[in-house]
Amino acid sequence: MTPEQWQKVEAVLQEAIDCPPQDRASFLEAACAGDRELLDEATSLVNAYNEAGDFIEQPAISQDAHLLVGSDFADKLGHEIGPYTIVKRLGGGGMGEVYLAQDARLDRLVALKILPAYFASDDARLRRFQREAKAVSALNHPNILTIHEVGEAAGIRYIATEFIDGATIRQLLAKQALSLDEILDTAEQICSALVAAHVAGIVHRDIKPENIMRRADGLVKILDFGIAKLLEPEAPDYQDEAQPGHGTHTEAGLLLGTIGYMSPEQARGLPVDERTDIWSLGVVVYEMLAHRLPFTGATRMDTIVAILQRDPAPLSEVAGDQYNVSALLEQTISRCLRKEMTDRLGSANELLGELKRVREQLNNRTNLTRPAVKLRRQEADPSSKSAAHSLPRKYSWPLLALVLVLVAATAGSILYRRSETAGPANPALSVRPTTAISNKLYSEMNEAEQLDFIDQQEQRISMMMGDRPVKLNTEAVRVIKSYVDQFAARDRLSADLGSERIDKVYARARPYVPLIARSFAARKVPIIIGIYLPVIESAYRNCYENTIGARGLFQFMPQTADRYGVARQDMCDVEKMTPAAAHYMADSMAELGEDSQSMTLVLLSYNRGAESVRNNLRQLRDAENYERNFWTLFAHRDELDDAFRNEGAHYVPGFFAAAIIGENPQNFGLPLPPLSKLAE
Amino acid sequence: MLESASMMTVNADDLTGLLVEWGQGNKAALDRLTPLVYDEIRRIAHRYVQREREGQTLQTTALVNEAYLRLAGSGDIAWQNRAHFYAVTAQVMRRILIDHARRRQYVKHGGETQRVAFEVAISEVGLMSQPRAAELLALDEALDELARLDPRKSQVVELRYFGGLSLEETAKVLEVSLMTVRRDWRAAKAWLYKAVKSER
Repeated sequence: MTPEQWQKVEAVLQEAIDCPPQDRASFLEAACAGDRELLDEATSLVNAYNEAGDFIEQPAISQDAHLLVGSDFADKLGHEIGPYTIVKRLGGGGMGEVYLAQDARLDRLVALKILPAYFASDDARLRRFQREAKAVSALNHPNILTIHEVGEAAGIRYIATEFIDGATIRQLLAKQALSLDEILDTAEQICSALVAAHVAGIVHRDIKPENIMRRADGLVKILDFGIAKLLEPEAPDYQDEAQPGHGTHTEAGLLLGTIGYMSPEQARGLPVDERTDIWSLGVVVYEMLAHRLPFTGATRMDTIVAILQRDPAPLSEVAGDQYNVSALLEQTISRCLRKEMTDRLGSANELLGELKRVREQLNNRTNLTRPAVKLRRQEADPSSKSAAHSLPRKYSWPLLALVLVLVAATAGSILYRRSETAGPANPALSVRPTTAISNKLYSEMNEAEQLDFIDQQEQRISMMMGDRPVKLNTEAVRVIKSYVDQFAARDRLSADLGSERIDKVYARARPYVPLIARSFAARKVPIIIGIYLPVIESAYRNCYENTIGARGLFQFMPQTADRYGVARQDMCDVEKMTPAAAHYMADSMAELGEDSQSMTLVLLSYNRGAESVRNNLRQLRDAENYERNFWTLFAHRDELDDAFRNEGAHYVPGFFAAAIIGENPQNFGLPLPPLSKLAE
Repeated sequence: MLESASMMTVNADDLTGLLVEWGQGNKAALDRLTPLVYDEIRRIAHRYVQREREGQTLQTTALVNEAYLRLAGSGDIAWQNRAHFYAVTAQVMRRILIDHARRRQYVKHGGETQRVAFEVAISEVGLMSQPRAAELLALDEALDELARLDPRKSQVVELRYFGGLSLEETAKVLEVSLMTVRRDWRAAKAWLYKAVKSER
């Protein structure tokens, strides 16, 4: 069709539409007299007009808004990781992002879990996990998610598992309550998986609603077998009487997620066995029935106290009205939740038997009304006498407090604790006395010394930033260490990423320190935040092209670069971009926030804009342990938006690593003063 | 670490300048505007989804307007520039969605079994559905064809469907009467519906 022909057709079409519907056909015949082609075209358009209905009437965004929300998925979609092509992001959490992917070799869909970067450097741990994954897969149990492969491609570690087209119990709980029959059925299937795993000597350690999926047809799958163990801290380098040091505790892993399902022995940092899974399954069943956890508290510490000490509210009182919680069911769950392992149901097999009895009873009992409702827990369960008064209750408060302190100190059971010495930070006074370690080269320290060094320096840098000193848990220190190690090993890295030696990176950052210090000081921004920017930025000298096609080292907008005197073709030139970035940072930070804590947030999210900072702050305020510092953000990253989680989470340890090196150049063989000295 | 960093802040002068340039036919200006607008669109989408969950309906225009104010600041801004901004937003929105649809189609390629498996996966997780992707790609192609025959009609559709503007706002942006937009819209809708349907 030509534009001229279209004009003719449109004229007829418009007039036809203006006619009453019943007259349109005759109008078209008359208007197109003799022109068969025009008549056909106009008629088909009038028909289309009649049929079109709602077509394109609602703006596209009303239908597709959800697609625009997850940027990460858009970025990774279509990317290939080894033999897998990413199709869609399925979810994410402390253990890494999960994607739906296509396995090119076998023409099947898989769930691909990309492990967090900090695992990538730990071969021994991954090998151990791999062995366990193989052992679990070898069970070939219908209720255990099959692990196809633990692999690596282009530096990305991943776990490929079968893809389950269903919802997690967490999602199901949010959507609607499961029927009692479905709850019991789910519990039985989990139990049957646990029986098989426990026989093979494998404990899950992290049974929770997020790790259990149920397909529409009712098949239940346990996910992430062995992954909790992958997240365990290594056996500690120090010995402590309260800690048997078996390396069997999973606190760090669990604490990254939720602690509500943790068994008392896990909370206390004791060795665990299959009875830990029994406990956690008891918690899950309790939650499915009551829509609340048996042990909760306002803070993580309160929750731990509840786990160690309190009896849960009787299930018959808190279960949803629609559930007929029999005395037997209540008793069964209560026997899963005994504080002492020895008082608990001893095996998954035993629990499975009890659950089956509950179900039989339920099936036989059609016209009885709720007999258990008014029964108190101990009446319902005479054998629980010893359990109800078990170990924790015998503890006096001081002893309990001592236990808790030990838990905190040895097992890392609270994410971090604040030093008592709050108040205006004076780095000179508050820095821990120099120890022998601080005079050693980092590369000559043993691992325990390196960790101690990082621990000390991190506290010092927190203070310099105006935060109170933050005592991080072992896992957090290890994460920073892995970044420091990466920096320190730069000259050994491949040429495609950060192949420069650390002294070059440091040297490039150095001239910009006074410049940054001045502009930051003038705006009352803590200088120390700014100083390490050029270190971090110039460490990444690859020239990136982002999804929207902007090319440049810092991904400046071209007009922003213009403003700071960088021509478009120079946007990949680190020498030109570093000062531009510093100026840009100082300027934009001056516009946002007032106190030092806001500044750290701004820094973390400076590539997302002020709105993102505010939104994330709002989200965070709803979280426990609300403190506006790096580690709170890192620890609560699951509650923050995708962009923040992905970028902020890496920025946190990266920032500390850059700061530790920048403040202690002598420990890294750099004959230079600390960067903050240059700012004075 | 900051590989995906994109420093999005822009001042009102920049934005106005770029809009004016683009209005004068400088295609490069659109390239520079796109990332700014893209970021805003994602914010809009975010709020759209959120409010939807809370059971509220939301006028796209109100959000685009707000996005514009945020990008441009509260300075005195000529209507003309705002009109350009709507046009840019609509174009960027179209680009993004078509890009999604293309990837979706790319992912589809493969055996029939695979396709079926994807359908299952997608209905569950909310990736752009295959029919939706096909419809968008057909619509995109048809819009290009319509632009060749009748550029203004294609613009009307772009502004309304991708930019979320009302008939009145579309008329204002295009500086034509409301009646003209109405007639353009219904003819374009018929034409596109026919084109998209015949694609299937």
